[in-house]
Amino acid sequence: MKWFVNLFRVFRREMWRVFTDVGVLIFFFGLPLAYPVVYTLIYNPEVVTEIPTVIVDHSRTAESRDLVRAIGSTQAVKVIGYAADLAEAKRAWAEKKCYGVVEIPADYASRIGTGKPVNVDFYSDVSLLLRYRQYLFALTGVQIDKVQQITAERITTLAGGAETMVSGLPVNTQSNLMGDTSQGFASFVMPGVFILILQQSMILGVCCLAGTANDRRRFRRQGRADVPIPGDDYSGAGPVTVVLGKTLCYVVIYLPLAYFILTIVPEVFSLPHVQSASQYMPFVFPVLVASALLAQTLQVFVRERESCFPLIVFTSVVFLFMSGLTWPRYAFNQFQLFIADLVPATWGVNGFIRITSDGSTLSNVAGFYRPLWYLSAGYFITAVLLRGYVFRKKA
Amino acid sequence: MLASLRRGIRTLGSRRIYILMLIIVPLACAFFFLNLMNEGLPTRIPVGVVDMDQTEMSRSLTRKLGATELLEINHTFSSYHEAYEKVLQGELYGFFYIPRNFQDKAVAGEQPSLNFYSNMTIFVPGTLSYKGFKTIAVTTSSGMVETELVSVGLSEGAVGALTMPINFPTHPIGNPWINYSYYLSSSFIIGVVALLAMIMTCFTLGQEIKNETSPEWIATARGSMLRAIVGQLLPQTIVLTVVGVAIQSLLYGWLHFPMNGPAWRMILAMFLMVTASQSFGVFVFEIVPNLRLSLSVVSLLGILAFSLAGFSFPVEQMYGSLGIFSYILPIRYYFLIYIDQALNGQELYYSRFYYMALLAFDLLPFLMAGRLKRRALNPVYVP
Repeated sequence: MKWFVNLFRVFRREMWRVFTDVGVLIFFFGLPLAYPVVYTLIYNPEVVTEIPTVIVDHSRTAESRDLVRAIGSTQAVKVIGYAADLAEAKRAWAEKKCYGVVEIPADYASRIGTGKPVNVDFYSDVSLLLRYRQYLFALTGVQIDKVQQITAERITTLAGGAETMVSGLPVNTQSNLMGDTSQGFASFVMPGVFILILQQSMILGVCCLAGTANDRRRFRRQGRADVPIPGDDYSGAGPVTVVLGKTLCYVVIYLPLAYFILTIVPEVFSLPHVQSASQYMPFVFPVLVASALLAQTLQVFVRERESCFPLIVFTSVVFLFMSGLTWPRYAFNQFQLFIADLVPATWGVNGFIRITSDGSTLSNVAGFYRPLWYLSAGYFITAVLLRGYVFRKKA
Repeated sequence: MLASLRRGIRTLGSRRIYILMLIIVPLACAFFFLNLMNEGLPTRIPVGVVDMDQTEMSRSLTRKLGATELLEINHTFSSYHEAYEKVLQGELYGFFYIPRNFQDKAVAGEQPSLNFYSNMTIFVPGTLSYKGFKTIAVTTSSGMVETELVSVGLSEGAVGALTMPINFPTHPIGNPWINYSYYLSSSFIIGVVALLAMIMTCFTLGQEIKNETSPEWIATARGSMLRAIVGQLLPQTIVLTVVGVAIQSLLYGWLHFPMNGPAWRMILAMFLMVTASQSFGVFVFEIVPNLRLSLSVVSLLGILAFSLAGFSFPVEQMYGSLGIFSYILPIRYYFLIYIDQALNGQELYYSRFYYMALLAFDLLPFLMAGRLKRRALNPVYVP
């Protein structure tokens, strides 16, 4: 019973520390509430459309104009004009007026008419792969349409008897997209980023709390006036109780925030959101627990209130790559996998995007769920050991 | 000036965090990103085959799928549901479905259909598996047409013109291999350098006020803010520029990333980007001369920069009210210079505005230096 009283005391004390520190409140509430919205707004246009494109038409025939019309009517391409030659088109590209150049050969119409294959060269800027990808999809579409149209004409005139045999392709192919079929950029990247925001904001806040307490102790030693008490004095509670009490505090604060980020924001911006909260909220719970315990492990290295900024902020970029969102996990080597597996968000991101975009159930993603509890157990041990060490040092 | 500089150098050595954040972290990040993506393209995507046909033709199709560089057939299944389950579990990124009686129908001309399923939840493997599946499906199909047409007496040349009358050979300029690392590493690693430059600038200035050493800092510079700021930050400029150029030589020298222009243009861009980021940090600190708040502002902007600078999603496609913020970020101009000078090998003329913009950032601190001086002379630490 005494133990529960102590646990509650730690919990209450920690709540008081969180809600009386503006800096921590910004991390715990400002960041998770504002960041997902701002971030989604940046990517909300989702699909790259109407990329400015220049045509170099050496043919200047009805057929070539027909091709330009077909290319220009795709979603990805916007024909901004004709250039006399490649040099002129290159100038437009250098000035960033266009990102692609279509060069139609002089004999385009005659080759089409005489039944010879023809090459239409396409020069693409690849400074961004998203643009290049849109171009490829558009051109493949145009090519398939043209091929069907031209082949149908030719077979009737040329092959005569073969017409019946090749009225269609002998084998149909059908592509099916699963998961996030919208192909939008926000829909792809944001669900993963949400999990990362939860973990990182919690680590920042917890480290800030620890740094502040250290600062206050140091200032008191230096004899600086009116410094408040450190506030992390937990007389009577052992390291296990302190770690559990604090974890409880952080998780209680973060559960409603997680609901906001993972349910309300995706609905507002119509991001992929196919499963119900009953599947992903239980999944997110160990993400929060493991993050809280990881944060309490890392906080020992933060000696000062503000040093959490340099030490923690840049890791968000590294953790994003470790999650396998930009560079898939199957292409990691053993060492990289080992490091990435130590980060709760890695499992969190992979499990959550499968639940929210693919419609997996909690039991489908058991492979991502179980490691989160192993990590929690591991970071619980490190947090308790380090807490015990800090207690001894203070004593 | 010398006294101020000496003080700046002493600051660098005063705490481990400076060496850690200015040298070790940027180099470690560079190593991490380059090591992670050193293959350039994440080929061998784990996918499956559902073979409902179990004939010579379906097995040869399975072999063909396994032989492509893009795909790695990890599993063969005997039902759609087994394969779909594996996708839901996140083990596979897609599968190829060969229906029952495929061979019989194909031979009898009954147009059976080949289905393939790609999971687009993760962009790169989704797109690549789609491409791998599509190539095999289409070549299988057109291979059959060609066999048939040749068998009815057409020459092979005429058949080629029949099945592929029009082609779009694409020429990706500067990165014909479509190497992902080229564009991810070149922007993200340097983005980390820019982020750290801004953070450490605010951190350094804020420490003076927090530790109440700022009056001494101004006194060492004999009252000149220019001397004070340059003296304190120039050592960091040099360290970060050297680290940045080391990263560049790793990228363009050691790993042979595309460098289609003279190297000095990128080195100059690196130096200007580091000073611009520092000046930006100083400017933010002049507006909010508070250690924690200024760090919050530069961290927020520094992290948003990875999206706002248009490393992956083009700026001109963002909402105008957000896209406009990309122009207040030094890293955006470095990124544009990198595209022009290293990737595309343009004339210097086309990048002139970007270099000028980076230079213009260095003027920012002059705007409110007086305000910073007043605060520095009466330091008040607000936690």
